[in-house]
Amino acid sequence: MNLDSEHHLDEQELIQAVVDESDLPQTMQAHLVTCHQCRASKESFEQDLASLGQMAERYAPKPQKRIALPVHEPKSAFWTFLNWRTAIGAAATVAAVLIVFWGTTIVRNLTEYGTDSVPAELMQAKQLMTEVNMLVDNALPPLYLKISAENNPDYDQEFYQFLIPQIESENLTSYRWKRGTSSC
Amino acid sequence: MASTEDTNTTSGTSRQLVSLVNQAKDGNRSAFAQLVDRFHTDVFRMVYYRIRARSDAEDITQDVFLKAYQKISSIKDAARFRGWLFSITLNRIRDFQRKKRFRSLFKVDDENLESHPSVETGSDHPEALDHVLKEDFWRQVGLILNKLSKMEREVFLLRFFDHLNLNEIAGTLKKNESTVKTHLYRALAKFKKEPGIRQLLKEVIQ
Repeated sequence: MNLDSEHHLDEQELIQAVVDESDLPQTMQAHLVTCHQCRASKESFEQDLASLGQMAERYAPKPQKRIALPVHEPKSAFWTFLNWRTAIGAAATVAAVLIVFWGTTIVRNLTEYGTDSVPAELMQAKQLMTEVNMLVDNALPPLYLKISAENNPDYDQEFYQFLIPQIESENLTSYRWKRGTSSC
Repeated sequence: MASTEDTNTTSGTSRQLVSLVNQAKDGNRSAFAQLVDRFHTDVFRMVYYRIRARSDAEDITQDVFLKAYQKISSIKDAARFRGWLFSITLNRIRDFQRKKRFRSLFKVDDENLESHPSVETGSDHPEALDHVLKEDFWRQVGLILNKLSKMEREVFLLRFFDHLNLNEIAGTLKKNESTVKTHLYRALAKFKKEPGIRQLLKEVIQ
């Protein structure tokens, strides 16, 4: 004798049997077939639930308004497909494609601008350095140079010599000797 | 023998249903009108069980069939029309309840209506005893359903009030069949612990 087949269904197994009898273990299913007590409990519970449904039907009112259908024909499959959700999805896809396209173009332009501009920037830097060097040599603008006679061709070396004669160290030494003085 | 006849009748009915659905899909208004006649009461009851207000149930039922009429061409399997229609119904009910909850934030009256579902009285219910029984029944049903979680309540209603089988419930709720069984099991366990409704059932049956 199998002990399981003698064991009556407990409350959980009874509920399980009502939900779906095939989910019970084989022994329990076999027991349910043979045991009148368990079968009666199950059927009583099922009867209660069926009565509940019947009473709900009985106590629910009957519909009184007739259903009014629209005059036009139902939409074709195309228009059903093209509902607002599909439209939003399509718009989002288009927007995503445009963003990707524009993004790529901008990045590409930036890259191209970067490679093309290097020689130009070098040239500018070189020019700037030349100007800086010129300023180091002489910071005055050309007009002031003319006023200060720096650029006047008439003022040659001889003229400067005339203005500021060079002190000759030899002459100075002989002069000191003649006077009988010494530098130290 | 009788079982074979039943099976033949059922398959004949379902074949007729599939044929009607296919015709409605092709734009046949008359076929859709026949589908409305066939499912009008089922859909109305389904709504009423969850809303428990006749006028709202009538409006939602109208909405459901309107939506079904607009979307009938999108149905893939004509044999699953019933489940598809019930899915639309559940969605409409959810929309209605959502709007009602939102309105109840601003209106005190709606809140009261929520806590005491209305059972219409008047010319529809002339017999006082019947009216009392109805009121008591819906009050007990309301009490029991309030003790169930959202999913348990839905599965319980679909199984025992709307008479859908497990497979149809799974299709309607777009859930796994074993998930449906789990929720149904929990709902029944809670139902079994409620003596009130079972007592009421016994009294009415007697």
